[in-house]
Amino acid sequence: MMSQKKQSSSEQEKDKTHEYHVASLVAYAMPEQVSAVEAAINIIEGAEVHAISDKGKIVLTIEGDSHKGIGKKMDLLRVHKGLINLSPVYHQVLDENKEENHQKIK
Amino acid sequence: MKNLNLASIAGLMVLVLAPVFMSFNANSADKSEINTVATLRDHTEIDVQKEPNRIPKVINKDIKQTRNYPMQPPIIPHTTRSYEVNKNNNKCMSCHSRQRTEESQAPMVSVTHYMNRDGNFLAEISPRRYFCNQCHVTQLDAKPLVENTFIDMHSLMKQKTTSAKEH
Amino acid sequence: MTINRREFIKANAIAAAAAVAGVSVPAIASNLITSSDITKLKWDKAACRFCGTGCSVNVGVMDGKVVATHGDIKSPVNKGLSCVKGYFLSKIMYGKDRLTSPLLRMTNGKYDKEGEFTPISWDQAFDVMAEKAKDALKKDGPKAVGMFGSGQWTVQEGYAAVKLYKAGFRSNNIDPNARHCMASAVGGFMRTFGIDEPMGCYDDLEYADAFVLWGSNMAEMHPILWTRLTDRRLSAPHVKVAVLSTFEHRSFDLADNGMVFTPQTDLAILNYIAHYIIKTGRVNKDFVNKHTNFRLGETDIGYGLRPEHELEQKAKNNGKTKGSSTPISFDEYAKFVSTYTVEYTAKLSGVPEHKLEALAELYADPKIKVTSFWTMGFNQHTRGVWANNLCYNIHLLTGKISEPGNSPFSLTGQPSACGTAREVGTFSHRLPADMVVKNPKHRAIAEKIWDLPEGTIPAKPGYHAVLQNRMLKDGKLNFYWVQCNNNMQAAANINEEVYPGYRNPKNFIVVSDPYPTVTAQAADLILPTAMWVEKEGMYGNAERRTQSWYQMVEAPKGATSDMWQVVEFSKRFKIEDVWPEELIAKKPEVRGKTLFDVLYKDSSVGKFSLDEIPEDRLNHESRDFGFYIQKGLFEEYASFGRGHAHDLAPYDRYHQERGLRWPVVNGKETKWRFKEGSDPYCKPGSGWDFYGKKDGRAIIFALPYEPAAESPDEEYDLWLSTGRVLEHWHSGSMTQRVPELYKAMPDALVYMHPDDAKSRGMRRGDLVKLISRRGEVQTRVETRGRNKPPVGLVFMPWFDASRLVNKVTLDATDPLSKETDYKKCAIKIVKV
Repeated sequence: MMSQKKQSSSEQEKDKTHEYHVASLVAYAMPEQVSAVEAAINIIEGAEVHAISDKGKIVLTIEGDSHKGIGKKMDLLRVHKGLINLSPVYHQVLDENKEENHQKIK
Repeated sequence: MKNLNLASIAGLMVLVLAPVFMSFNANSADKSEINTVATLRDHTEIDVQKEPNRIPKVINKDIKQTRNYPMQPPIIPHTTRSYEVNKNNNKCMSCHSRQRTEESQAPMVSVTHYMNRDGNFLAEISPRRYFCNQCHVTQLDAKPLVENTFIDMHSLMKQKTTSAKEH
Repeated sequence: MTINRREFIKANAIAAAAAVAGVSVPAIASNLITSSDITKLKWDKAACRFCGTGCSVNVGVMDGKVVATHGDIKSPVNKGLSCVKGYFLSKIMYGKDRLTSPLLRMTNGKYDKEGEFTPISWDQAFDVMAEKAKDALKKDGPKAVGMFGSGQWTVQEGYAAVKLYKAGFRSNNIDPNARHCMASAVGGFMRTFGIDEPMGCYDDLEYADAFVLWGSNMAEMHPILWTRLTDRRLSAPHVKVAVLSTFEHRSFDLADNGMVFTPQTDLAILNYIAHYIIKTGRVNKDFVNKHTNFRLGETDIGYGLRPEHELEQKAKNNGKTKGSSTPISFDEYAKFVSTYTVEYTAKLSGVPEHKLEALAELYADPKIKVTSFWTMGFNQHTRGVWANNLCYNIHLLTGKISEPGNSPFSLTGQPSACGTAREVGTFSHRLPADMVVKNPKHRAIAEKIWDLPEGTIPAKPGYHAVLQNRMLKDGKLNFYWVQCNNNMQAAANINEEVYPGYRNPKNFIVVSDPYPTVTAQAADLILPTAMWVEKEGMYGNAERRTQSWYQMVEAPKGATSDMWQVVEFSKRFKIEDVWPEELIAKKPEVRGKTLFDVLYKDSSVGKFSLDEIPEDRLNHESRDFGFYIQKGLFEEYASFGRGHAHDLAPYDRYHQERGLRWPVVNGKETKWRFKEGSDPYCKPGSGWDFYGKKDGRAIIFALPYEPAAESPDEEYDLWLSTGRVLEHWHSGSMTQRVPELYKAMPDALVYMHPDDAKSRGMRRGDLVKLISRRGEVQTRVETRGRNKPPVGLVFMPWFDASRLVNKVTLDATDPLSKETDYKKCAIKIVKV
């Protein structure tokens, strides 16, 4: 897991963009594996758990600076054996370069 | 009176009750202007027709347009003429798929597009998202006939923070 | 800006995922957002405002404004998707030209048909309306007043209007624009099954092995159903898609077998398939013997034109017997369809024999589960009811019906064509729950539920949509109220049969609309109207799913909902103004009361208190009238169908669910009707039970191919077909005001074959005139767009208010359903 984490952060360096990406997902974990899945999420850079239901549904976000980065982080999680299903719900990109320009003009 | 559109007529409602306005109305020569309310017909009587404008060109500048809200599908900022999207080919994905974006420098389709109907995550784009043109459209170089007063959430919040500071 | 935008969009992302997971995340408000009341976004569910698919959408509201919309992930219909129109719902209410004051044509402060539109108050508006309605009633009685409503009315709006007209004014002259859209489907259902609406549901999309599209361009007109069909086709390689149309369109992109046929010959193709099934010995004899009857229908029934039209003079059976039929045997039926050989049909239709055979085999092969979809290609057809009947024939001959994936499926165009137009019964011949005014027992049931004396509801069907326009022109319908539709753009033959009636000095025309439409321009009084989530309402979609939503934002000041207008207007009438003395004598306690008292407040409509409305909910109408009127209207309406195979759940439940498919029995919805085990109304042991007919048997009809009302000739040498487009909803009054949708498809062009253009010396972009015997319209030529018509046919959509293609179309209708054929007339095209 640790090596994977490294890999993903070096990847980010290479693909440095001016974008901010956030995706929210619902992970559905097997009841006995909920905490393992939660831990796996927490070690992924930019991933964060926000809520866990009694039934093992985990609400999480993944942040990053490229489409690819988000996808890769999702792939890391997707293969976890404690996971029944991982559903992306929402994905938004903020172009911060443009955002700044925009605000300067104003 | 020429430029009096419907919105301003409505805005003048208070005045209407005043006799002054009435006589003004009666003197106006431009009844047909007032009565041709259908904005999308550009002040044309129903039994006549204005000459149709030329077919506008597709905007092909490849400049991303700001979205009105996060979930809005981005519009296509380039022409898609002769793009084949049918059961054998999907030309759009030859640039926008995850594998091709490095080469094409086109934005990758959102990760939500990899989710199937039951919420499972797929390796390839979900077949239910296959026909891109059901949500993503090009824009023609045409000026909208009516202004739209929709305010996006960020502008609303900005307005509020500004007014909060003033108070 | 003090708020971190990253945090804000992250909070939105979390909220969306939490909603999906059904988890509450209390941390969102406190931890992530720095100033929570500034960023507060309230999400709620609503049915999409547009087509008959009936997607559920989530609507985000901030500061009393809709700021975002997206597909509802919890909805079984669309599972998080919207089409491009649906994604732009947020902007439809914000066109700058929203109407905010009633406008009356006036001269010198008084109503004048030739006067200028002048803003007046609502009181003044109702004064003049009441005066005009009372004048008409006094002069010519109930038949002089009428209303044209909509399959886009909410269920409650339609029900309130039906009650006002059929019980209050005692006039059946109320009809919805669904007449232009679904009437032939209704006729087909009633004739074959004796009960309206599809037996199957959208779940068929995930079960079928083959799909056949008959005159339905689902890719553009039912985009979300198309995503489900595409999903099925691309994920299961054995699945086949056949598409039939009079021109090639986007749905052909997925077709394994695409067929372009000569207009009107679909009737022959349908009969050929029946013949093929019989000839190859694939009739499901057990099913046919147990569950069907055969009948021979009347033929040569005319074209629903004015009686003096030469086609009507020529037709032999366009009188009262046009819908009649006589019993025949299976052998007689087999002989009847045997003339539709593959050779004959291929020649007539222009579809190659091998394509016809491949199509017929999809139906004939007992191993293939086949779902047929159709929309306006069948319905807007001078033999629309027949086309519906003939399609049921082939499903009945093979027993491919009412089972997952085996489904003859009539798709509705409008969001509540099923819910409001059909189930509520806003047609001129109907009452709620499939009942009709002609049947004395049905009238008695309605009068009992409405607590009105016997004889209140008139027995004779009123003027249907097309007849309303003719009667306006003839000066026989004098007070006319149009709500929630744009018929001056939508009705056929505008020059001869629509515009003259609106401007006939004998008539007073009221048009309720959020925007100044073409119809509003033709009116005498325009009423500014609230739309969509500016009011609480319900829609019923094409799979019998009833969905509700709460009011989420206030309408612009001055605009009110259709329902409020109808109910408020009823206060202007005393019972003595509208009922004859002998009727009042049967129920003297109504004397001196207003229609508002009798029809709404003191009836069961008025029995739910305001306490039932959650305090944080807007509800302009209820708080104004003093009772929970949406619930009252719904519950009274629902009492018509409960226990009669049209059961609806209690009102409050719809606020919790993403809709439910009726009949809802013991709290459970019904997916496939007429099939034992899935439909609780089937008799035990029956297997299938078509209980709409007394003997439980559906009817297989022998009906022939008959030619169209008007076909190309030497002078008018092209077929014209009209229709819709993906980016615009109907006449475009909402979507043309959304800049992104407008710019995606700003103008209605005429799509033609490059050879047709060339032979007329035309090129793409040329300015041309489409001319018929009735009128002309100018537009520009498109030879390479998304529609690819064959030589000899052109297509022009009708969404464009500035290019009224219906000046050209013919007002011929199916004589049985009275629905106009917008798909076939003869025109010529010349360069301007």
